[in-house]
Amino acid sequence: MSWQGELNKYLASAYKNWITSRRNIFTVFELFFWPMISLLSIGLLTQFLRVEEAMVSFLLVGAIALTILQVAQIDVAYVLLFDMWSKSIKNTFIAPVRSYHLVFGAALFGILRGSVVFIILAGVSHLLFGFNFQEGGLLPVLIFLLGVFAMAAVIGIIVCISILTFGQKADVAAWSLSGLILLVSGIYYPVEVLPPLLQAFARLLPLTYFLEYYRSIFIPGPHHLATGAFLAAFYLVLGLFLLDRAIERARRTGILLRLSE
Amino acid sequence: MTQKAVEARGIVKSYKSFFGRPATVLSGIDLDVETGEIFGLLGPNGSGKTTLISIFSTLIYPEQGSLSVLGMDARHHQSEIRKAVNISTAKPNFPWSLTVAENLRHYGMLYGLYGRGLQQAVSDQIAAFELEDFRDMRFENLSTGLKQRLSIAKAMMNHPRLLFLDEPTTGLDPDMSRKTRSLIQRIHREENISVVVSTHYMPEAEMLCDRVAFLRKGRIVALDTPLNLKRRLFLGERVEVRYEGTVDIPALQSMPGVMGLKSGPGWVEVVMERGGHGMGKGEDRERNGLDGIIKLFTQAKILDLTIKEPDLEDVFIELAR
Repeated sequence: MSWQGELNKYLASAYKNWITSRRNIFTVFELFFWPMISLLSIGLLTQFLRVEEAMVSFLLVGAIALTILQVAQIDVAYVLLFDMWSKSIKNTFIAPVRSYHLVFGAALFGILRGSVVFIILAGVSHLLFGFNFQEGGLLPVLIFLLGVFAMAAVIGIIVCISILTFGQKADVAAWSLSGLILLVSGIYYPVEVLPPLLQAFARLLPLTYFLEYYRSIFIPGPHHLATGAFLAAFYLVLGLFLLDRAIERARRTGILLRLSE
Repeated sequence: MTQKAVEARGIVKSYKSFFGRPATVLSGIDLDVETGEIFGLLGPNGSGKTTLISIFSTLIYPEQGSLSVLGMDARHHQSEIRKAVNISTAKPNFPWSLTVAENLRHYGMLYGLYGRGLQQAVSDQIAAFELEDFRDMRFENLSTGLKQRLSIAKAMMNHPRLLFLDEPTTGLDPDMSRKTRSLIQRIHREENISVVVSTHYMPEAEMLCDRVAFLRKGRIVALDTPLNLKRRLFLGERVEVRYEGTVDIPALQSMPGVMGLKSGPGWVEVVMERGGHGMGKGEDRERNGLDGIIKLFTQAKILDLTIKEPDLEDVFIELAR
């Protein structure tokens, strides 16, 4: 198959997510309403508590990271969620596609939507709370976003695996997993305040390291970006491998048929 | 040796649940589908038709057995098989908010179509399935018939060499069913492809299929041409007579070759054996049998006489018992 044909297999998921999102009024809520609510609540809280400027940046980075993570991860999960909700999952898996075609296409669209949300939130937080996201230049912003998007892709893959393993009930994972990330990866507080067991868990999450790296620009401190990058790459490869296994298992158990009924 | 479209041996499939016992859906299916034929899978609901089609198309895997599709081993060449086959599912479903054209485009992309080739394939299928007026209508707003047409159009996007149609006329009105059957015949003729169609509508199988297999409780209980199946099962011809006057019903019942009889005031239905038994052979047999019946109506006036050939519906009922 030509490279254009192969490329289109990746873009198919992005195309479906794009059309579906464009026609869904609730996209406005996903892209604007909830992100703004999240940012404004945290921003106003920092004003009410009169926290120092460094802490404002700490909290706003966390709020924005969480929002982008939620937007981008749901786009990866949507690649199977839309199919499951419309009972059309058979049609996807009868085609000669692999897990990476589905995930990368959807992740591409997630990156696009996540970037739009980031630009909006960065602009609003600058206007309302005087926070400058480009203080360390453009490169740290891009590295930070890359880390958040990689983490989002991993969560999205876990949701897809859950759907293929446990069926319809697993869609709750799409919204629950980012809550777990909120708790342990240092979104609103440093991971050092967590109990030792959760700290150990936090150290297994790439987002923890990317948050530390980006925050070190505003509040100088140590970071282990390389560890975060390694973990992100490792989880992505592992996630795709496990997703392929989950698809094979779904073909063996016949859950693909049940998800289409 | 001619390559077969499907060559299945000892296919076994059961579905397991966390708590219940595994339910066996297919129990040792041996089946060949010849290249270029329209092959029918018949059977009542739950007989395993959809599961078998899903296994043939490599959507799901069997637990046991060997399967070759278009000459390719299904264990080792799944991707190649998926490129060369396609399926139109029972109760077609597609992403709701995508239009007819967008759905075709999306699935065309999954098959690696691109650029002008993709545009052309979308336009060709829309034209072939007369979907021009609904090109920009969202899937959720399509009627059942249009959804079915879109489903078959999608299944043709990659120009498959082997097409699976799972209950293609379920839920359609008689006119739409007829149109869909014509469409299937046209695709088969023009694209020169092999087709496996599952249905529980007997006239559909009789009209479309070169050969049919009857599935019952996950086993093939009969496999032949529709005509041979009717012959093999010795299904009788029904002679219905409406009359005025009196008829000796016990005499009618004891006539050679009469397999069964139902009667009511002014009517009688006789099921005549097609295999002989003192009724002669061929046309003679039929004439003798009919003459014998008519002779018993000397005390009555025949108002109407109808001879009904057995159809696959009768075969179905016979085999589903």
